[in-house]
Formats: sequence, C-alpha cells, structure tokens
Amino acid sequence: MSTSTTTPRGVVNIKVETLARVEGEGALAIRLKGSRIEDVKLKIPEPPRLFEAFLRGRLYTEAPDITARICGICPIAYQMSSVHAMEKILGLKIHPSVRELRRLFYCGEWIESHALHIYMLHAPDFLGCADVIEMTKDYRAAVEKALKLKLIGNKLVTLLGGREIHPISATVGGFFRVPTKEELLAIRPEIEWALEASIETAKLVAGFPFPEFEQNYEFVSLSHPQEYPLNEGRLTSNKGLDIDVAEFEDHFLEQHVKHSNALHSVLRERGSYLVGPLARFNLHFDKLPEAARRTCREIGFEPPCLNQFKSIVARAIELIFACEEALRIIDAYELPPAPRVEAPPKSGTGQAATEAPRGTLYHRYVIDDKGVILSSRIVPPTSQNLRRMEDDLWRLLPSLLDKPVEEITLRCEQAVRNYDPCISCATHFLKLKIERT
Amino acid sequence: MHARIIGVGNADRGDDAAGLLVARRLAGMGDDAVEFTGEALSLMDCWQNRDSVILVDAVVTGGRPGEIHYWDAIAERLPREAFRCSTHLFGVAEAVELARIFERLPSRLVIYGIEGAHFAPGAPPCRQVLEAVDALAERIHGEVNRCTAASA
Repeated sequence: MSTSTTTPRGVVNIKVETLARVEGEGALAIRLKGSRIEDVKLKIPEPPRLFEAFLRGRLYTEAPDITARICGICPIAYQMSSVHAMEKILGLKIHPSVRELRRLFYCGEWIESHALHIYMLHAPDFLGCADVIEMTKDYRAAVEKALKLKLIGNKLVTLLGGREIHPISATVGGFFRVPTKEELLAIRPEIEWALEASIETAKLVAGFPFPEFEQNYEFVSLSHPQEYPLNEGRLTSNKGLDIDVAEFEDHFLEQHVKHSNALHSVLRERGSYLVGPLARFNLHFDKLPEAARRTCREIGFEPPCLNQFKSIVARAIELIFACEEALRIIDAYELPPAPRVEAPPKSGTGQAATEAPRGTLYHRYVIDDKGVILSSRIVPPTSQNLRRMEDDLWRLLPSLLDKPVEEITLRCEQAVRNYDPCISCATHFLKLKIERT
Repeated sequence: MHARIIGVGNADRGDDAAGLLVARRLAGMGDDAVEFTGEALSLMDCWQNRDSVILVDAVVTGGRPGEIHYWDAIAERLPREAFRCSTHLFGVAEAVELARIFERLPSRLVIYGIEGAHFAPGAPPCRQVLEAVDALAERIHGEVNRCTAASA
C-alpha cells in the first residue's frame, strides 16, 4: 500500500507501507526535493535474529540444522556453507558421489527458488500486474508452469533432504541417507519436463520490456575452473578480485548503518558489489551447459549484461542450468560406499562460501577440540547486495523525477525485487516511503 | 464427509501460532489434523484429493484479539489483507485464490481465522488467542464428529 502527502513547504512524502513480493520485512524511504534526490535508505527494521549467537556453545554437527532455519527459501545454501566450513576444519574429504549429490540437492533449491521469483514475484512487474493472481488472467499457462516447476524443485529437495522446507538429511561429511539410483531415475522425467519449461521461461522473460539501466557493477561470485558456481571455488570478480574464501574477511567489510538491522557488506576501499544470478552469468557464461548457452544465443542474451533489471533473464538461464545439471548428475550417479564420512572433532577455524539462489553465502566457524562452536560469522547474499540496491536506487531515481509518484514507487520496488532479496536471511520485509519537496 | 484440518502458522511469531495450536489440539483428539508451516503455495498439495478441508490461521482484521472468524472459501473470496499477518511469502488467501483459478479447491473449504495482535519473534501467543484456540478446537472437533456421524 502506498500513500503520498504534500507539506506546506512543498515537500511530497510518499509512503509504501508494504513493499510486496519480497521475502521478509523491510522499508524503503526516499526523499526528493524538487529535482534533487536528498536521501535513499533501504530500511531493515526487523530485529536481528542472532543466529551467530545461537550457534555459540553448540556442537559443530548442529550447525547445518540450526542455520537451515534462517531461511525457508534457501535452507540448503545454509546447510552447504556450514558443512563445507566444518569439513575444512576436520580435514574431511567427501566421496565424489556425495559431492555430486550435494550439487543435485542445490539444483533442487535453485529450481524452486528461481521458479518462485521469476513467475510469482518478479514477472508481475514486467507484465503490469499487481501480483501473480492478477497475472493468471492473461498468463494462466505460465503460472501453471511455475507451480509445476516449483513442485519439481521441492520434490528434488525432499528426495535428497527428507522434506522440502528445512531439510534434515544433510550433515557434516555427507548425508544421513542417500537416494538409490532408482529413486533418482524416478524423478528424471519430471526434470526433463522442467528443462523444457525452463527454456520456454527464458524465451518468455527475454521478451519483457526492460528499462535502460546499465551500471558499472562489480560482479562477485565463486569461481571453479570447470563448473558453473554452486558449492565451491575461489571468490572472483570482474574487477580483479581473486581470493581464497578464507580471505573473505580481509577483503569484505560488514558495516552497520543506522537505518538497517541487516549489515551492509562492502568491498574494502571499493564499496558496493553485486552477487547473484547476473554476476554468476557474466563471470561464468562459458561454464553453462549446452541447452543454457544455446538458449542464450537464441534470445540474444550474452555477457556482459550490465542491466540488473535483466537479472530475471539470468535467473531463467540458471533455471535451465539447474535442470541440465540435475539430469547430468542423475545419469552419472553411482551409490557411494557410505552416505557420509566421519572424523573426530578438532579445534580450528573453517570458512566456506556457496552460491545460494540469490548470491554468495559466506560462513566462518571457530570450534574447539571437542567440536563446540566458539564463534561463527554468516554473511548472507542479501546483506552483500543491500548497499548495491541503495546505489541502484540513487542512480535510477534521476530518470524518474518527472514521473508520477505511483510510477516512481513501482519502478523503485522493481529495482529492489531485481535482487530477489531475502530479507528474512539478512534479517528481514519491506515498506516504502518517498518524501518529495 | 471426512474432513482434513490444516493448521497454518509460525510457532515462533506470537499469535501466528494459533492455527498450529488448533491442529495440535485436534490431532490429540484423534482428528485428521496437520500442522502446516511450509509456504502457502504448497497448501494445494496439502489438500489434494480431499473433499472436505477445514483450515485455521491467524488473521488481522482489526477485531479484538482471540475473535474467531469464519469464511466459506468455496462461496466467497477471502479478504487478502486479513491473512497478511505473517511473514509468509504468500498467504492463505493467495493460495486459495490460485487454487480456485486452477480448479484445485476441495468441494468444501471452510476457513477459520483467529484474530491475532502480537507477532513478535519468539513471543508466546497472548491469553485471548490461547483461549480462542481451545474454544475453536472444541467447536471443530464437534463439527467433524457430527459430520462423520451423519455420513456413517
């Protein structure tokens, strides 16, 4: 809901009480004075969730289950970053089949999360619909497709993780239970369907009307020599960053700002940066599998793409990738000798980053020789993108100043939704207030 | 007609736990009641192949805390604002409307809402809501038993 008021001195205050179609709770305040933008603040008023504090004193084995509770949309990302960090401390080497299953698990999360955001949250912006229910009037088949895609992602997550929300099977060293080849093959036809549906999705969203908004972004993502980024690699950017994940805190700084209970992560001495589908697409286009690259050529979507409004296309391309990767893993799967490997606890510090659907997720743990967590640090992707979202709004607003309040509001909301923000992760709902003088 | 009861909510957000608590009470009485904490989009799957469904959730309509509301979701559209008291991405109202469009509603879908007022993280439900949970559980239990007896 949005309202606008004008003060006796000509100040126009515009408030959007609830910015819809984002995950979590937050607010956006914009102050305009004539043709000047005075202030832009992405406010995150929800209290901090203190997960890092909850983890202190708990056993290292509990981290995947505790951190999975941070988010109902991307719990696997939390589980994967935590298990990789713990395995680094323990020196655990997991079986290649288990590594592949983790990628498959992650594919399930990408399918459900990307399908949800593309169709239910972001597409209405481009189609001039208030929400997905209004969208069904003219795009019933597309919404039906989205529901089915999401269901298939959920099924894959349930198969690997035991249940679709906050799965329970992933653990340090592997899984509590791994699926049989037959179980994986049983879901294969549905993923084949999902692959075709994803290609159609990319073709649909590539035809959306996008505003001109090319920016000089620093794109950051994990980088693996052969694989499209998911669960391991160095951290690289298009502006020269190339570091081991263990060096994350030497290069990235989390800053507290008064108007947000979610910290803003910045690159030291460089400022905001962008993580998520568009960053991964631009940095790792060459590692996309065949159908994804072929679709990119067909729709004319090739790197570098510097317009974050087109992140919906990058997200659709990643949907194709997730389906292709899932099929590849299922076909090559061989049951590992054991679902997991174990090792006695030992003291140490472990850092890991994996690629959540909406961007890089960093975890760092310090544990003692009994495996008790002494400290932890979690930097979710939305915290990493928050400063960049504000920067986008500063740069977008000059082109909107002569527009009606409703149009400014809608475009600013859309600019935030470009990032698929999970404020629940970063800490959490969005309301919009614009002041115009 | 055998009814499935679905209690929706978040156990860690004060009065938003109301639906879950009703389902828990009814499951304890032997009714076919499930607690639903997942995303609302999956509700359609939760009531798939069911003819009769009773859904309970916390609502905010401006009424007094603990007030019990009733909607026949087959006969009328749900007031979407009433079901936005939780941080769920989609609410019950959106899920019901999508199911209506895709013809995936059960033959009978009754929605009970318990008026909530406090949704702070980690807070317990308020006294009025807890009283309403007990009252509504008894009411639904009686209703389900009467329907079962009538169809036997």
